Amino acid sequence: MIGRSLGKIYMALIIVFLYLPILVLITLSFNASRSRVVWNGFTLKWYREVFENHVIMSAFGTTIALAVLSSLIACFIGLFAALGIFAMKKRDYRIMLFFTNIPLLNADIVTGIALMLWLVRLFPLGFTSVLISHITFNIPYVILCVLPKLEAADFHQFEAARDLGASSFHAFIKVMLPDLLPGLLAGFFMAVTMSMDDFVITYFTKGPGVNTLSTLIYGEIKKGIKPEMYALSSLLFLLVLIILIVVNILMADQDNKKDNMERTQIRRRTLMKKIVLLFMMVCALSAALCACAGNNASDEGTELTVFNYSEYLDPEMIAKFTKETGIKINYEEATTPEEMYTKFSSGAISYDLLCTSDYMLKRLIDEGRAQEIDRSAIANYSNIDPKFSDLSKSFDPDGKYTVPYFWGTVGILYNTKETDGPVDSWDDLFSGKYRGNIIMQDSMRDSFMVALKYLGYSLNTKDEAQIREAAQLLKDQKSDVESYLVDEARDEVVAGNAVMAVVYSGEAYLGHEYNEDLAYVVPKEGSNLWIDSWIVTDNCKNKDAAVKFLDFLCREDVANANFEYIYYSTPNTAVVQSMDEDLKNDPAIIPSDDSIKDCEVYEAFDEKTTQLYNELWKEIKAE
Amino acid sequence: MSKKLIELKSISKSFGACTVIEELDLYIRENEFVTLLGPSGCGKTTLLRIIGGFETPDRGQVFFDGEDITKLPPNKRQVNTVFQKYALFSHMTVAENIAFGLRIKKKPEDFIRERIKYALDLVNLSGFEERMPASLSGGQQQRIAIARAIVNEPKVLLLDEPLGALDLKLRQEMQYELIRLKNELGITFIYVTHDQEEALTMSDTIVVMNRGVIQQIGTPESIYNEPINAFVADFIGESNIIDGIMTADRQVVIGGQTFECVDTGFEKDQPVDVVIRPEDVELLPPDKGAVTGKVTSVIFKGVHYEIQVMSSIGINFLVQTTQYFSVDSLVGINVIPDNFQIMHKPKSEDEQILREGEDHENQ
Amino acid sequence: MKTNKMRVLSIPYIVWIIGFTLIPLLFVVMRAVTDPKGGFTLANLFAIFDPIHRKALILSLLLAFISSVICIIISYPAALILKASRFSNKKIMIFVLILPMWMNFILRMLSIQMLISKNGLINNLLEIFGMNKMSLINTPYAIILGMVYDYLPYMMLPILNCVLAIPDDMIEASKDLGANRWYVLTKIMIPLSLTGIGSGVTMVFVPSMTEFVIANLLGGGKIQLLGNIIEQEFSVSMNWNLGSGLSVMLMIFVLITTLVFGRTASQTDRGFVI
Repeated sequence: MIGRSLGKIYMALIIVFLYLPILVLITLSFNASRSRVVWNGFTLKWYREVFENHVIMSAFGTTIALAVLSSLIACFIGLFAALGIFAMKKRDYRIMLFFTNIPLLNADIVTGIALMLWLVRLFPLGFTSVLISHITFNIPYVILCVLPKLEAADFHQFEAARDLGASSFHAFIKVMLPDLLPGLLAGFFMAVTMSMDDFVITYFTKGPGVNTLSTLIYGEIKKGIKPEMYALSSLLFLLVLIILIVVNILMADQDNKKDNMERTQIRRRTLMKKIVLLFMMVCALSAALCACAGNNASDEGTELTVFNYSEYLDPEMIAKFTKETGIKINYEEATTPEEMYTKFSSGAISYDLLCTSDYMLKRLIDEGRAQEIDRSAIANYSNIDPKFSDLSKSFDPDGKYTVPYFWGTVGILYNTKETDGPVDSWDDLFSGKYRGNIIMQDSMRDSFMVALKYLGYSLNTKDEAQIREAAQLLKDQKSDVESYLVDEARDEVVAGNAVMAVVYSGEAYLGHEYNEDLAYVVPKEGSNLWIDSWIVTDNCKNKDAAVKFLDFLCREDVANANFEYIYYSTPNTAVVQSMDEDLKNDPAIIPSDDSIKDCEVYEAFDEKTTQLYNELWKEIKAE
Repeated sequence: MSKKLIELKSISKSFGACTVIEELDLYIRENEFVTLLGPSGCGKTTLLRIIGGFETPDRGQVFFDGEDITKLPPNKRQVNTVFQKYALFSHMTVAENIAFGLRIKKKPEDFIRERIKYALDLVNLSGFEERMPASLSGGQQQRIAIARAIVNEPKVLLLDEPLGALDLKLRQEMQYELIRLKNELGITFIYVTHDQEEALTMSDTIVVMNRGVIQQIGTPESIYNEPINAFVADFIGESNIIDGIMTADRQVVIGGQTFECVDTGFEKDQPVDVVIRPEDVELLPPDKGAVTGKVTSVIFKGVHYEIQVMSSIGINFLVQTTQYFSVDSLVGINVIPDNFQIMHKPKSEDEQILREGEDHENQ
Repeated sequence: MKTNKMRVLSIPYIVWIIGFTLIPLLFVVMRAVTDPKGGFTLANLFAIFDPIHRKALILSLLLAFISSVICIIISYPAALILKASRFSNKKIMIFVLILPMWMNFILRMLSIQMLISKNGLINNLLEIFGMNKMSLINTPYAIILGMVYDYLPYMMLPILNCVLAIPDDMIEASKDLGANRWYVLTKIMIPLSLTGIGSGVTMVFVPSMTEFVIANLLGGGKIQLLGNIIEQEFSVSMNWNLGSGLSVMLMIFVLITTLVFGRTASQTDRGFVI
């Protein structure tokens, strides 16, 4: 008896382990605050708002359509494949299973990139390319679920059906398929699950404007996951829970009646019908969703493919632009400049407009990937503060290629309650005073910048000795660092998991919103001043439309909407002038000229320095 | 007579709402070959599992050599089991399977090797040491299962329908093997089967069970010749069981026709079951029998014909005879008084259930 | 039934494998054995033995190994418990194990991060009960936790399949022959469920080896696994040749492990069958 209850406790613990994180996520969907680390009371509003969120809903539609379609096709190919493999001789059987296992054994990132490299040669990336990739990794699950059922199947039944005059196709459908159906359904279910959960492969093989929930969530980590996303995930989870419970009850019902053969047969047939019906409903639903997605894509007229940092532009503005001009925008996001470069230069997607950071702009311009823009053709360009022509000199000396979008500094976000007095120097990161409470940027360039500035060198230095000195400093500092983050540094300080973090100035404003004890400083040794600007790529066929879009972004109301969407510093004077006083005085929003006097803009490195950086950074991380 | 080795005292066992064994008493003597016989679901396997230690009875006690072993786990009992599906360890060789019990007892390897050889010789499978169970035929697996059990020199060997999965020829061979083994080893065998022929061939004692209750205990001869009730009669061999009325001592009326029999002590006009073995029905020329009948079917069974006869008194007789009669031919039917066995009709509900059980089995 | 006609059915799949598994893989192998200028080189492959990469490889192997072992330690008793209880409804168990996958993987990892972070829910609870805070986040242990959380079902299901399939009478037979519980476990149960453990290990070990998202989210960017390095070569350092070279080497390591464990693992016994 004791053994039995111990067993129950053990199973209960496993279930708690598996479901505790889920419970946390469901709880978050009721949190009134937009930040996941602050609880502001109970609300149901996210459940309402999620259905009004066009971006999430369309990503949801794509996700479901992708999952169902890829799983269905995988089921077809997989079922036939399983039958074929089953009939093979032992050696061929082994070989086929080996190849079947490849997608399961390969690192996702390798599979993703390999598929991208190949598919882009066949046709432009889009929904189809993701679909093919998902089918590729789904087939093995179907085969591995169907094969055991085949091995266990009773082939005499099949032969009996043939003997009674059925064609082999008919015999298969009527006799074999019911035996294989549980395996096939399990395979379908696994495939849908895997497809819904995949991020890496989708990310690399998707085309412009195609977003799944996974890619959307990944992009959102930086600015914090939208609470609507928790709501949608919780709903989805509950929906699946209910479906599975219903299916299980149906099946259990069937099992209980096993003693009565005749009834079982009837049951089984009605069950089959129910399952098939369910299946068809799911298919119809996904087809409808596909049609919706298709409608969106098949708008006639001009199109622009725009590549930007994630959460860097108010999605309402995209809709507004299309409404005003009739030009459709395919909007694509990435989190780091390097990621953008990888996707852009692979040619997988032909982007027309691209917004990225200074040093990456320089690289792209040097590689001849940008078209010249006539700033005088942009009517609203007059809103942009002229000083940015100067600040942009390092990457666009003649002001021919770029239009500034947002700018800011890198500094320290810290909790005033946890520090003795105000922080004003990088020294606090290296002195060991806040050991275990520091968050550094998980970005090579930014981490080196901190060390180089602290040592009093230029952040653009190409002097190997200086760079190595900085690297040594960072290595020594590593044991003091709590974590290296890009995305959630701000949230970690808000939540009290760290005392200070190296962040971009825009993050600081939101951090202060959630926790008023937080303050932001650009250390006195100087820092990085960054400018994110737009370029029109060499791919762009419709430059007029591209210029229209840039003009639109420079317009006061649009620039203001984008500013209020993320609270990064805007170069748009019209917006700055109309700001509230307290915003104007916030050093995170408008850095004072004094605070940026020792700041430098990143320049692109030559091959040799890039390699040195890469190597040293790897060493630091591997320390 | 040798001593009682195993004694079961008022054993009851139920699974959920279903009672499998009810108030059962039984003893088994040393060196006896006892067969528990009955239709499936009669509780015989459960009884065997209680003796083996795999089930604990809800009530009652199990004694082994005078010692209460009711609560003793199987690994501590001096009995070994040969399982229905052999239960050979599929990941071990034949030798490893046989050595399993001896290794647990930490016997020296030399001794183990010797015993393996001895056991394989005993079951006529010398040289099979390194084979894997999956590569053996059903009969071979069966013998290995027996070898595995007997190397441990158990006092009692329990066999749970061990020949059920074998074909007829092999089954007969194995029956002789088992008898030989029993004689050579001099240990007690408790054998569970639903095959009456197997039971009659091998046993010293047969225990006929139905619905968790012992129906009759006796030697094969006594069980066959003097079944105690219709259930036993029907289960041991085929029988004609006919409703009759005792009108007087040694006088039974069947279908309006009076027959002479040897039974006495019934009340006047008491309804009874009349049991007649098919081989005891004589077919004669139409004018010679007690009643006449018409042959409705004839099946050749090798040694004899199995003939269905519809008699003039409205009763269908099953007859076994070496003589051939063609379908539709008229015959006379006769049964000598000694071959009528008169039995009480079931009185209680329990016995009625026994009847149903038998019907169920016949399906 | 096993006819040539039936074998023909797998042709679409064979075409698919060639078209979307082998050819893309060939691209990766091509990159792996060339330098950025297109010349042939094996340097990208041998780069795995550079101190930094070697260290990451060893750490990856170690974490994957520990995660697999922990998964076995958690799963096996669970399978035994389920076998012993009359309630051995495999369907419900599979359902319980798979259901969490319907929450997005990144969200689940973020949730674990919130639970175990310094000022997180578990530490706050510990504080309420007057216990010491634990510092799990941003250590290799946190990564192991994440891997065990994510991959436990892959271990649990095949083991469950195998253990439930062991015939009861085989266990009874061994008890009958005098085996105690421990002996039954070590000499009968474990040897008979080795195939399940084998497939479980491949299913846990392989993704653990190639993982980088868990390491990023729970390791605080301080711990470099081989997966992280490959990811960085592709997306940050933009040295695709080196990234491909390391990937190919990683594949070879993974293949070696699967061959070692695959000998015991039955290929089709992946345990997803409801």
